[in-house]
Amino acid sequence: MKISWFHLMPWRWLPDDFRERYHSVWVDLPNRLYDPERGHQLYNEYLDMLEYADQLGFDAIGVNEHHQNAYGMMPSPNIMAAALARRAERAMILVLGNSIALYNPPIRVAEEFAMLDVISGGRLIAGFPVGTSMDTNYCYGENPATLRDKYREAHDLIIKAWAEREPFAWNGKYTKLRYVNLWPQPIQKPHPPIWVPGLGSIETWDFCLDHDYNYSYLSFSGYKRAQKMMDGYWAHAAKRGKSENPHRAAFFQQVCVSDTDASAEKEWWPHVDYFFNKCLHLYPGTSGAPGYMSEASLRAGIVAQVGNTSQNMGMNKTWKELCEQRYIVAGSPATVRQQLEELAKSLRVGHLAIGLHIGSAPIELTNRNTYLFATQVMPHLHPIFTEYEDICWPKALPASARAKAGAQSAAAKSHAERKIGAAA
Amino acid sequence: MSEVTSRTLELSQDRRIEVLEAGSGAPLFFLHSAGGIPQWDGVLPILASKFHVHAPLLPGFGSSVGLDALEDHFDLFFHCFDVMEALGLERPYVVGESMGGWIAAEMAALRPREIGRLALAAPIGLWRDEAPIVDLFGYTSNELVPFLFHDTSCEAAQQMRGVGAWLSDKDDRTEAQVEFLLALGRGFKTAAKFLFPIPDRGLERRLHRITAPTLVVWGAEDRFVQPSYANLFLDRIRDARLELIPRAGHAIGAEQAEAYGKALVAFGHG
Repeated sequence: MKISWFHLMPWRWLPDDFRERYHSVWVDLPNRLYDPERGHQLYNEYLDMLEYADQLGFDAIGVNEHHQNAYGMMPSPNIMAAALARRAERAMILVLGNSIALYNPPIRVAEEFAMLDVISGGRLIAGFPVGTSMDTNYCYGENPATLRDKYREAHDLIIKAWAEREPFAWNGKYTKLRYVNLWPQPIQKPHPPIWVPGLGSIETWDFCLDHDYNYSYLSFSGYKRAQKMMDGYWAHAAKRGKSENPHRAAFFQQVCVSDTDASAEKEWWPHVDYFFNKCLHLYPGTSGAPGYMSEASLRAGIVAQVGNTSQNMGMNKTWKELCEQRYIVAGSPATVRQQLEELAKSLRVGHLAIGLHIGSAPIELTNRNTYLFATQVMPHLHPIFTEYEDICWPKALPASARAKAGAQSAAAKSHAERKIGAAA
Repeated sequence: MSEVTSRTLELSQDRRIEVLEAGSGAPLFFLHSAGGIPQWDGVLPILASKFHVHAPLLPGFGSSVGLDALEDHFDLFFHCFDVMEALGLERPYVVGESMGGWIAAEMAALRPREIGRLALAAPIGLWRDEAPIVDLFGYTSNELVPFLFHDTSCEAAQQMRGVGAWLSDKDDRTEAQVEFLLALGRGFKTAAKFLFPIPDRGLERRLHRITAPTLVVWGAEDRFVQPSYANLFLDRIRDARLELIPRAGHAIGAEQAEAYGKALVAFGHG
């Protein structure tokens, strides 16, 4: 199986009385809580963490898109991916992703993803989330009643723009373009692998199965609570006659590896507490605009409360409860190995997106986590599911054929800086 | 009280529209708010005692379907003309509340000669930065109560709080409660399709086209759409006057049905 080191990039300095003073971490949290000079240090520190993960051999490094919040500060994940593409030379680049209905016209996504694929030598994984209601409806003003229809049209346009080699006209309901003619086009043919985050709706399962996209279940409530949902996904895939290749699915799990189980709690509890009790402090009034969810999903949500509702987001739980219920996988390397093997096999996921930075964690602690994971845990996970071809992974240029950042600079410098009149 | 009947109109493009009807007399075309017409109460029985009331439910409300056929707000306005035509109404008295008031005003601006008289009860559709209309789609239903009612202890306010309590984290709702919540969600989806995120689709540019004699009604204590908006309508509609209902919030009929009904009836009879 493949392991992606995934960053959310939260703001780390929310006040102690945050939950009492503010009703949400998202949408209308006043930006006076943000300090750009601290933000400068923080972005660079976060990028350093991702580059370290690349150096230690993680299969991919990942970023995502959110707006107007202190939980994930990447309104433009493509900027982060571009910053990573030059210095992180090995790992695939997972952008999970661009909320494609938000871009006007959506070929902006086709262009930027193509740029990232070309800069990185074909290492891009292109994520196509619908986006949360908070991001898409409340922050970006998209109409919730038509968002998913617009998403589907944007998808069809992007895929066609990547495939066509002649200019074409697009007369859509939401986008009308007389000339679509993508420069550049991606290295990967017909296009980079596409991952689609979902929360359990059958429509999204079908969308992924129809196109052989990776179905990415990005939950914060851990693998045990995901069991029923993923069982449903695989049963649905089987019913549709699709192979049960584990690489059709990805799962997000937050992990803390430490020397011992006891030291994991001591080192990580403040940061885990910060994440579950501050970063996930959401206001129900803006959690789902009318029409954002299909009626079937709404019915399931009202009746069974599946999905990320407030009761299972992990608030007000102790370290012991979070560990036992697997909201987090935390402890010694042996503990983490055992639980993640169980996760992979029970959910049948060939891709693990892993959160090794959590909440307010600083770089020293995060990189220790990364180091222990890379050396003590990852080698035990990599052999799982190798009997299946990974149908959702980039077909990058071989490393030997990829440009190295700055590789030509030395030779060019002596030529560029020769004396005036000297022979070239 | 006159009997309320429900019938279904089959319109083109798979629109099936439920119309509630009661009373006799001159035709009155009633356009409901984003809350729909869950019960025949408020001002409706009063209007039905003097007029033949036709109250169609927009797609997504009641048993009406066909939202997909309405892509934008102009489709919505023409849809309402289709309903009026299917009912065979000639120059009716058109009464609209809140969202329905916006639609009524747009219809009267689009085809001025087809509207007999017009009553707009706390209509939305305009926007002023200094008096932002409350975000209908950005609060829990419990939190909307103080914006919608002047007296938050009134029966309708208590009912709304009760519905809010069904949206708890617990799995203890009855089937009827679940169906009620889903119906509420369907109606709100329709409202959102035409009003999200800011309920302004350019009505202000068109208000001057309205020729029907117009009554603008406002709850004096409306905290959802401030009564100052009434002046914008009065300034732009050539034959318009204002009736301010004391001790009423945005849901005028829920708190002061009698005074409100009296004003609508008197105006409707010209």
